[in-house]
Order: sequence, then structure tokens, then C-alpha cells
Amino acid sequence: MLEAVALAKFYGSVPAVHEVGFRLEPGQVLGYLGPNGSGKSTTVKMLIGLLEPTRGQVLFEGQDIQHDLLAYRKRLGYVPEEANLYPYLSGEEYLEMVGTLRTMPPSKLKSRVGALLELFSLYPHRHVALGSYSKGMRQRVLLIAALMDNPDVLILDEPLSGLDVTSALIFKNLMQTFSAKGKAIFYCSHVLEIVEKVCTQLLVLRKGQVIAYGSTEEVRRRIGQVSLENIFLQLVEEKDVTQVANDIVDVVMSPI
Amino acid sequence: MSSWRRTLREKLAAYARGPLVCLLRLFAGRMFHGAGDSGAEELDMGAGILLIFLAMPGTLVSLLMFEKYGSLIRYLRGDKLFDPYVATIPDEYFFIVLSMAVTAGAVLWRWDSIFLDRRDYANLVPLPVSLRHIFLANLAAVFSLAFVLTIVVNAGSFFLFPIAVQGSQNSVLMLFRFAWGHSASVILASAFSFLAVFAFSGCLLAVLPFRTFRKISLYVRFFIALCLLAMLASTLTAVSLFSPNSHDLRFQFGLFPPIWFLGITETLWGRGNDIFFAAMAHRALIGLALALFVSVFAYALSFRRSFVRIPETADVGPLPRMRRFRLHGALLDGTILRSEHLRACYHFVLRTLLRSEAHLQVILAFAALGIIVAAETVRDTFAVYERSTLVPLSPELLAIPFILGYCVLVGMRFAFEIPADLRANWLFRLWISLEGEQARPLARRVLLTFTLAWLAPACFLYSIFLWGWLLALLHTTILILSCLILVEVLLVRFRKIPFTCPYPAFQSDSTLVLVAALFGFLAFAVYIPEFEQWSLTEPWRVLLFVLLTVISLIGLRQYRKQMLDMDKQLVFEDPAPSGF
Repeated sequence: MLEAVALAKFYGSVPAVHEVGFRLEPGQVLGYLGPNGSGKSTTVKMLIGLLEPTRGQVLFEGQDIQHDLLAYRKRLGYVPEEANLYPYLSGEEYLEMVGTLRTMPPSKLKSRVGALLELFSLYPHRHVALGSYSKGMRQRVLLIAALMDNPDVLILDEPLSGLDVTSALIFKNLMQTFSAKGKAIFYCSHVLEIVEKVCTQLLVLRKGQVIAYGSTEEVRRRIGQVSLENIFLQLVEEKDVTQVANDIVDVVMSPI
Repeated sequence: MSSWRRTLREKLAAYARGPLVCLLRLFAGRMFHGAGDSGAEELDMGAGILLIFLAMPGTLVSLLMFEKYGSLIRYLRGDKLFDPYVATIPDEYFFIVLSMAVTAGAVLWRWDSIFLDRRDYANLVPLPVSLRHIFLANLAAVFSLAFVLTIVVNAGSFFLFPIAVQGSQNSVLMLFRFAWGHSASVILASAFSFLAVFAFSGCLLAVLPFRTFRKISLYVRFFIALCLLAMLASTLTAVSLFSPNSHDLRFQFGLFPPIWFLGITETLWGRGNDIFFAAMAHRALIGLALALFVSVFAYALSFRRSFVRIPETADVGPLPRMRRFRLHGALLDGTILRSEHLRACYHFVLRTLLRSEAHLQVILAFAALGIIVAAETVRDTFAVYERSTLVPLSPELLAIPFILGYCVLVGMRFAFEIPADLRANWLFRLWISLEGEQARPLARRVLLTFTLAWLAPACFLYSIFLWGWLLALLHTTILILSCLILVEVLLVRFRKIPFTCPYPAFQSDSTLVLVAALFGFLAFAVYIPEFEQWSLTEPWRVLLFVLLTVISLIGLRQYRKQMLDMDKQLVFEDPAPSGF
């Protein structure tokens, strides 16, 4: 369904992403992992067509997404990393605007927005300006905006940021249900626990390059570690995290 | 026929619900609400109040015209041969300048909201909307804003000024002709002003990298605001342009846009046989067309160069390292910032003032006002004394640093009321005790160091140049003492850490505060220099000045003493009554 073929992006001569490739089929959830600055956000931007790759292609149903970007985006749901919303619009106004821009029929739009606001516990706040929403509320608005038009592909960049426990649990179940219903989900996150439970596929990125890719079981077997945390530490982290923690304590507790 | 109408109506309704109109509504809303990231902290007056504010200057000036052109007043003045087309030229020129200045001022205020930014990109581009639609919708929103501004800014004068001038005449035709000439010229002048600023900002955005544009945009706005204030100030001297023997002067002023639009008024009033005004009208139309063309072209170019490339550019670069202030900071830490709280808060306030665009904007606006008033004062003074080799100790020249000092101090005091990211004020709430004097010592030190650090040396140097050592020393001392009193007056009821409280609610005494600020200007920048001139003629009289300063400071101290403790306590939530 969605395929990245040898994706590369250079900022000047600096490579942000180099030869990244994967394939995401309906019903699959691909966990995209990597430390800060590894090129995750650059990949996401290329996947949704915000950035043009320096080399390589993003294919959707076998066609380059640049061929008909608008038709591709119509079938795409996207949750960005930052909830940078218009502070003077209310939650309901924002979602209605998104629905209109997605050319959803007005009658369907109104009822769907109302129902989703209710389910995400935002209905009582629907007329409140987004500027006064909490971080978790903004994140829920972004989730509704991504889901409201029943997309075939979901690209989620840190979707749990700021969500409370209940919302995070709902979200985890939501991903599993969507996956069972045949949606393809690209899931970019630092929360290894959720990735471990939800993702069927795993891709680990370091300094812009793929260092592990395959089904979650396959990656576990290959690395010889059971927990995702250990896999991540073994593949990505160059520092001894225990040592760094001890050093921090030493600095904090040293006399002034 | 009815089915045809129904189809058309349905199509229009569908179009109104479509993406283009939805985007247009979004962008127009943003232009009225501002582009700040945290809407809760941006001063959002709502479209209605904003429009009333914009319409007020033209309306108020028009109301004043009723007094000037009332038939009784003219009778009492002995104006028996009243030709409204000749008598009103200076006022018409003033209306043109006013409409240009207010419109351009509104564009400067909404400068950041006019062009599409990172947030628009993040919210809109991932959706199935074409870039062409985004481009066209924002352009349409910009032109809608231009249309609304040109109408609103001049709405009062459309009706009131012609009635004030022609109301006592018995010809409706003349009234309409006068109104037509006036309305057309002020509308076109407003439109030109809007487009010129829009074109200028578009050119900058198209030519410069986005980060550089963001960095310099505040200073560019300051420069434009200076030009607008200078243009407003020019109306005081432009009267000489309209005298019958001013042909040479007129052609010198031919490059000045307000004169072009006066040419349109004159032409529409049927006075196009004056070669100068006919040429100016022609120039106005060419200027307008050129501004329109350049603004659309620059907007398109900036959209392509800046908006489309947003994901490839970083949002903000590293903050400027304040190396120049390091020495200054170390000096202050060792002298006037002895306590830790004071030191931390002082550096926070100073950095916010220098880095926050909203705060700098307010201070620069007041500073621009001060510079223009000071420049006008200098020009008038030297016009009087141009033939004299010795510059006398005039109150006007003595007033220059007082004007600048007053504007900057009052501007900073206003800026203190503007919150800077309120979500971050928990830090001060957590660590600073509400009891005791915390706010005033901090605010006093910021105001004085921020102003006197440059004003006192500058005053001393120019006074040495003009009047010698002794008078320079005395003049600077008096300036410092006066600033001390002003700061104490400004802070008499102040009880906040600057920038950590929400905007104060509009209070019934807000108008009074504005009037007080105006009278304060008179007292500080007019009466004190006059008193100073009297003192400096006999240097021992300066002692009298010092005595008055001490008495004032003691009086203010007593006033603070008799205030209730709860009125002196530091606040974060409940805005205190305005401290002026």
C-alpha cells in the first residue's frame, strides 16, 4: 500500500535520511524508532509529501505520491509532532474547517465531528478557543482531525504526547482495531512500551540510516533481546545510560 | 426562471461551503485576531473594537471641523467670501495623511498575520488542499483586509467632513461634489498606503531568508512608523505649500505621496486646470497601479520562496549572545542588584525587553513618537536661531532629552503590562515571596538603567557641545532627578513582576490614565525644561530644583506608606489598578 523506496534527503550536503526503505501493507502497524535527530521527522515529512526526497520515491498503491498528491492526502490521516493549532478557533470550528478542506459533505461532517468530540471527551469544550486547551486536549483534536475522514493510511508522529492514561489506552486499542480493519498505520514514537504492544513491524533508524527492519518478532530474534528497550539500547544508544545517570547525580550533589 | 435561480443559489451556497471560501474565512480571521502562538496571551480586542479604534481618528478630526467651519464661527471671524475648495485644502491634506498613516499603522500592527507562516503550513498543507488555493485565499484575504481598512479608517470623514464644510451652503450638488472628491482621494490614499507597506514587506520576504526577515522585521516596522509619524508631523508645516506663491516649494514636494492624492481631490473638485495638481493626480494613479502590481508580484515571489520552502528551513536560529551586556551586567550585579531574586528577575526582564517582539514593539512605538516630537522641536528651534552663531539656552533645546526620556519610560511602563508566556510564570510564583517590596525596586532599576544608561551620557555630550561643561553637568543632573521622580510616579501603585500577569482588565479609569499621560508629557517635557531654563540662568537656583525633587520623593514615599499592606503585596493573578 505505502512504500518508501531508497529514500534520501540532504540538507545541503548534510544527509538527514539515507537509503531508507520499507513497505507498509493494509492491516500492518509499522513502528518507526530512533533517537532525536535520527531523521524520523524528515521521513514523516517525505511520506506526507511536505518534503520532496533528494533521491528515492514514496509510492502509494504503486504510484509516486507526487503524481497526484491531493488524491493521496485525501486518503491520509496525519497527526503531527507539534499541536500547532489556530488559537482563536474553537475545537469544533477547527474540525469543521479540516472537514471542509477534506471536502467532506457538510451533513456528514457535522454529525461526525459531534460524535468524535463526544467520544474523545471534548464535547463540553467544543466552543472553547483552542488557545486555552491543554496539551492533551489539543492532541485529541489532532487525532480527531486525522481520523474524521476515515483515512486508509494513518501517519502518526508522537501521537501520545500529553495524553492522559485513559486516552492513551483508548488510543492503543484504537490502533489495534484500525489495524484489524485493514488500515495501514505508520507509528513514530519514543514510547517503546506502546510500540512493543501495538506494532507488527519495526524499523529502527540511526543517523538517518536503517539499522533494523522487519516484523517485531524477527527483529527480536535477530538482535537476541526480548524487550524492545534492550533492542533499542543495543542498536541505537552509544552511551552507557547508567553511567550518565550516575554522572548527573554526582554533578547535582557536588558542593557549590 | 425560478429553477435557474435556484440552481445558481445552490451553486453559490456550495461554493460558500467549499475549501476556497473556508480558507478565505480562516485567513481573514487570523488577520483580525493576530498570529501569536498562544492566543490566550495575545491582546485580542475582537474585530468590532478594532474597527472602532481605526475609525476613531478620522471621525474625531471630522467632528472638530464642525467648529472650524461652522457658519457662526466664520461670521465671527469675518469670512464673508468663503470658498470651501480653497479654504479646506490644508485640512484635506491632513485627512489624506491621516488616512494613510492609520491604514499603514494597522498593517504594521498586523504585519505578522498577513503572510502565511509555519502554523499555516503545518495545519493546511498535509490536507488535500492545493497550494494554489492557499495562495489565492490568502491574497483574497489580504485584499479584503485592504478594502475593509480603507472603508473603516475613512468612514467617519466620508460623511462628517463634507457636512461640516458644506452643511451651511445651500447646494446639495456642491455637497456631493465635495464629498465625492474627498472620499475618492482618502480611499485611494489609504489603499496606496496599504499596498505600499504590503509590497515592501513582500519584497523583503521574497529577497531575504525567512530567519533574517523575522530578525529585521521589527526594525523595519520601527523605521516605517518613524516615516509615518514624520508624515503626520509634516501637516503642521505643509500649509505653506498651499499659498498662491508656493510654486517652487510645490514641485519640491511632488515626490511626497500625500500630495499626489491631494491632486486627485483637486481634480475631482473641478480644479484640474492647475497644472501641478493635474500632474499629481496622474502620479497618484500611476503610484497606485505600481503599488498594486509590485505587491502582488512580491507576494507571489515570497509565497514561492518562503512558504513553499518552510519544511526545509529551521524556524528560529540561536538567540543573540548578549556579549555587550556582560560587562554591564557584572557591574550592575556588584552594585545595584545585590539580592539574588533581584538579580534573577532583572536579567529576565532585560532579556525579555530586548528579545520579545511584542514588548520591543511597544517601546519602539513610544520611542518613535519621542524621536519625531524631538526632531520637530529641534527643527523649529534651529529655524528660529539659524542666523545666530550662539545657540541660546532655550526651553525647547533643553526639552529634547526630557521628551525622549518621557516617551521611553512611559513606553516601558506600558510594556510591563504585556504578559510574556504566562505559562512560565510559575517559576516566580514558586520562589518569590508575596510579602515585602519586590516589584517596585526591580521595576525602578530596570526603568532607570534602561533609560539613563544612554540618555544621560548623550544629554551630557550634546550639552557640552552647545553650552559648555557647567551647564552640561547641571542639565544632566536635572534630567536624572526628573527621571527619578517620573519613575516613582509611574510605579507608585505597581506591584507586579513585569510580564508575569495577564493583561489588566479595561477599567473605568483607563481614559483618565491616557489623559494623565498627556498631561504628564506637558509637565515633564514642557514645564520642567521651562523651569530648568529659569534655574540655569543663575546656577544657584538649581538647588531649588534639588529641593523640590527631594520634597516630591518624600511626598510619594508618604503616599506609599499610608497605602494598605494588601495594596502593596505582589500579585500574579488579580491585576492591580493601573499604576499611572
